[in-house]
Amino acid sequence: MIEKYAEIIGEEELDSIIRIAEKLKGMSVLHVNSTPAGGGVAEILSKLVPLMRELGINTDWKVIRGDKDFFTVTKSFHNSLQNGYGELPQGAFETYNKWQEINGNELDLDYDIIFIHDPQPAGLIKFKKKGKWIWRCHIDISNPYEPVWNFLKQYVQNYDSIIISSPVFGRDDLLKPQYVVPPSIDPLSIKNRPIPEITIKRILYKFDIDPDRPIITQVSRFDRAKDPLGVIKSYKLVKRHTDVQLVYVGSPATDDPEGEIVYKETLQAAGNDNDIKLLMLPPNSDLEINAFQRGATIVMQKSIKEGFGLTVSEALWKERPVIGGNTGGIPLQVINNITGYLVSTPEEAAHYALYLLRNKEVRERLGKNGREHVRKNFLITRELRDYLMVASLTLR
Amino acid sequence: MNKELLDKPAQTPFEFEAAYYPPRYAGLKAYTVDELIEGIKKVDGLSIFYHIFHPLFSSHVIPEDMHNDFAVWIRDELHNLELAQIISDIEGKEPRTVEDVREDLIKILSENKVSGRATRPFYFVSCSPVIYKTGKVARNLGEFFDTIATISIRSIAYHFIFKRVMGYSTKNDFSLWIEENYGLKDISDSLSSIDPQTYTDEEKLREDIIRKIEEVMFK
Repeated sequence: MIEKYAEIIGEEELDSIIRIAEKLKGMSVLHVNSTPAGGGVAEILSKLVPLMRELGINTDWKVIRGDKDFFTVTKSFHNSLQNGYGELPQGAFETYNKWQEINGNELDLDYDIIFIHDPQPAGLIKFKKKGKWIWRCHIDISNPYEPVWNFLKQYVQNYDSIIISSPVFGRDDLLKPQYVVPPSIDPLSIKNRPIPEITIKRILYKFDIDPDRPIITQVSRFDRAKDPLGVIKSYKLVKRHTDVQLVYVGSPATDDPEGEIVYKETLQAAGNDNDIKLLMLPPNSDLEINAFQRGATIVMQKSIKEGFGLTVSEALWKERPVIGGNTGGIPLQVINNITGYLVSTPEEAAHYALYLLRNKEVRERLGKNGREHVRKNFLITRELRDYLMVASLTLR
Repeated sequence: MNKELLDKPAQTPFEFEAAYYPPRYAGLKAYTVDELIEGIKKVDGLSIFYHIFHPLFSSHVIPEDMHNDFAVWIRDELHNLELAQIISDIEGKEPRTVEDVREDLIKILSENKVSGRATRPFYFVSCSPVIYKTGKVARNLGEFFDTIATISIRSIAYHFIFKRVMGYSTKNDFSLWIEENYGLKDISDSLSSIDPQTYTDEEKLREDIIRKIEEVMFK
């Protein structure tokens, strides 16, 4: 399977991955996260794990268990780490620790290298017996709510290495190496590979969207950090000047109990405008996502807080210009007037959306640049190579 | 052009290696020029290397008129184009190392202080090289030139830039090999005259290396 990427990244790049992987051949590697589907982490792991196996590394992927209380706690951790303030459920730390104990006793953690993804399973480090442990943090921890960070830090500081998505998330209070590895997309997945025009149209029709009229699309969870209300406001500002449709595509995730509430808030803000489509799709609606991104005239990712924002790379890969929130990892992908525009307010987003809707040649220029930017920097083969390198460096 | 010379076996074949430089947060940020100076004083040599050569390695589509990260930040965040241009063009020709560059940076920034505080800080990043064998070996000059023309730029950068600027050798590996195996000091000196610090396009660096060889070898 890995050879298929050569056509996109070139044989030299592929060769370098194979050669770097040789240093880890025969070793056992485990990835642990908190959800088997939904969200960027599960998506990356579903591709990364088979590729690591193909390179001769004995790689497994395990998902921790938890009840509704646990995921409510970890969602509150997630929000408070990214937003800098927190409202924690009663007994949050006890609930977190209880489930670390349960998972720590249930899971086989006897591996040479263990990648623990995000805060949900971070406490498993207490059960370290052997090998090197790497904490892969996918979210913004640069300005956390201190009580939560201090709680989490007691675990994080025991890891051998830490991976962050951007230097912006680097922490001065951690003594262990913090490697910078942006996440990535898989160009061969159903979500990202080329699909026929007829498929795009069929899917748009299916959801009552007119493929012949301009479309602004945002693909992201119904999460306040993604600013769905700001997106609605931007759309309404643009709509004063020109005909446009808004498609907001989200999907539920098992570790996000807040999604339903935010979806209802967004629905209310949209009102009865038939040109706004708020779609809650089941996980793995990859073909639909692909069609919505390719069918878009412009893509938005108007996040207020963002770990990285992989949907930006997905859209750029499809040669769509992106209007992105100036936060987290989005500025690594959206470069002003080169691959899209960075914005901080709904008004700014509306301004650039209108500009792009009226200038096809600008859209095309940004789209071409965006695809090349992603090809060189944000494909899964690059992330695979980075993980191999961090593992090698941690073993030294 | 001497065909026999091209085919003459080298005493020591040239084994091409290559390297990636996974970035690592260095634990320092700068919002002002003073903080930038302090950071430059504190970080390790690999951090200076990373920021100076980042534009060459990052394979991006951002504007390429600034040759290093410090210059880009000074232009975009402190909005001082003149200082950015001076910092961008610091000399990096042999035998200068990252320590020479560090000294220059501190001197220029101290003598040309600009006021102002950036909204987005400069994040100091260091790196940890991961070196690997490419499997390509040149046994004579002909094979050596052919390999330079076709091998990954990562390999060229490792031999031509990294080892020398990090102080592992006083000359780039290509010049050393040509001189030690064939005594061709003209080619060796010509390659040494390239300043790799001012390139932001990796293929242009390769082109210039080949051009320098051609100028001497095929004149």
